[in-house]
Amino acid sequence: MSEKLIMKEKIINIIIEIASESGWDILTNLNDDTVLLESGLDSLGFATLVARLEEELLYDPFSMMDEPVYPRTLGEFVKIYEQYAS
Amino acid sequence: MNGETLGDIVRSFSGDHNVLVTQSAILSVDHLQKQAEDLYRRSSVTSRSRIALCGLSPSDFITSLVAFDGRVDAMLFLPASLDDISKERLAASAGCTHYIDTENIVEVSRGLEECRSSEADATQWLLPTSGTTGRPKLIGHTLASLSCSVKRDTEKGRCFVWGLLYDPSCFAGIQVVLQALYSGSLLHVSESVDFESQIEGFVQNHVNALSATPSLWRKLLMDGRIKACRLRQITLGGEIADQHILDGLKRHFNGARIVHIYASTEAGTAFSVHDGRAGFPAIWIQNKSGPLPLSIRGDGHLLVKPPILSDGLEIVQRLDSDGYLDTEDMVRVEGDRVIFLGRASGAINVGGNKVAPEYIESHIRAVNGVVDVRVFGKKSSMIGQIVAAEIVPHPGLEVKRLRGEILHYCRVNMESWQTPGIVSFVHELKENSAGKRERLT
Repeated sequence: MSEKLIMKEKIINIIIEIASESGWDILTNLNDDTVLLESGLDSLGFATLVARLEEELLYDPFSMMDEPVYPRTLGEFVKIYEQYAS
Repeated sequence: MNGETLGDIVRSFSGDHNVLVTQSAILSVDHLQKQAEDLYRRSSVTSRSRIALCGLSPSDFITSLVAFDGRVDAMLFLPASLDDISKERLAASAGCTHYIDTENIVEVSRGLEECRSSEADATQWLLPTSGTTGRPKLIGHTLASLSCSVKRDTEKGRCFVWGLLYDPSCFAGIQVVLQALYSGSLLHVSESVDFESQIEGFVQNHVNALSATPSLWRKLLMDGRIKACRLRQITLGGEIADQHILDGLKRHFNGARIVHIYASTEAGTAFSVHDGRAGFPAIWIQNKSGPLPLSIRGDGHLLVKPPILSDGLEIVQRLDSDGYLDTEDMVRVEGDRVIFLGRASGAINVGGNKVAPEYIESHIRAVNGVVDVRVFGKKSSMIGQIVAAEIVPHPGLEVKRLRGEILHYCRVNMESWQTPGIVSFVHELKENSAGKRERLT
């Protein structure tokens, strides 16, 4: 499996985990074009996702950026994490 | 009653001047005044009445402010999100005689009203604090104390269309409402608290001035539609504004005036910073050239001396002998800036909502299988902080199941933002050298 798919899968799994713990309904077909704020996660859920990824990956790209970027879609979000991996 | 009232402010503009815009209507000064007079007549209040305003729509709330300021003894603002027990407790402690909600105006007590003096200078505006322990407290303001930092430049004001993202009955929401009314700006209020309709309204009505917490600004930038508004005034408050969000806003809204406000329900608006940098200039403390007297106590607490103080025991207890108010915010001087570090109490600020870790710990301890717990704020690049919990489980328990039970319990018994986003399991909790639980992230 490519690194891109591994990262995407990891992120989607955490989204599903957060939604299930919080009792939120999320879209069943999460893909690159899914708009994050329409996925079923609200901004608290999104912040939780970033925090859990930091626990797992040991980095938070949003606190490392020189130029702040606010991703709109899942694809953009995954891309940011890939850029800051290593 | 003496002093300028909100009705006086509104009447200082011509009758056909537009004040409020909603999805369905535009209200001029004449319209707003007529609605306010109708409401006042229907309510049968007197100058001794103390009224609770509960869960009104933004336009009804603003109408009520115009109708009752200067004509009643006190107005208590109860957000719709507050639970019924807290509403009743706060209305009773404020000695409310009337209760006004979306459907009714109810007279709840006359006895108290007869005991009151009608000689009060100005109507009290009573605001519940966010209540970090789950029990909101009342802070008493007046129109004068709430409007002391509001700009009154009507020439500039006419060029602005403000959007209201906050609940108008909270401190930050009142600031937006007063700023628009005092400077003659049009104010867009959504009849719904739904984020989607708020954004649509802002874009449709060409909102060019907006106030929000840093967390809400990040959400607005992620959503993206706000970029269609040509924002000229951007205000941040309620949480620590970091350099990332200030830079992000500057990049997307080139030329906008970006201001981060330091304010609290207790201290009122203390000061605003508009140089685009996080924190505030250290020179304000060093040579006392700041917008108001500021000082840093030996233990890192920021002290302020606001020109007008709100009422209440809560405030008196936090004043020192020189009249400085302990903000209970921790700061540190870094080069030429003073940087905010968080609340001295360890209170966690989740997107502008504050909660005491002890409050969450007491809930989590009630879950079977939890031996001990430490709750603290984990820094979040998205919403300031999120709640994190370290749990010591009963030996031999399956932690995955316990984790599910803890989160379920929190979800049922607390607000979503009070529920830990990060839960980890440890063998023991560490205390600092003073034997206190460490709450720094």
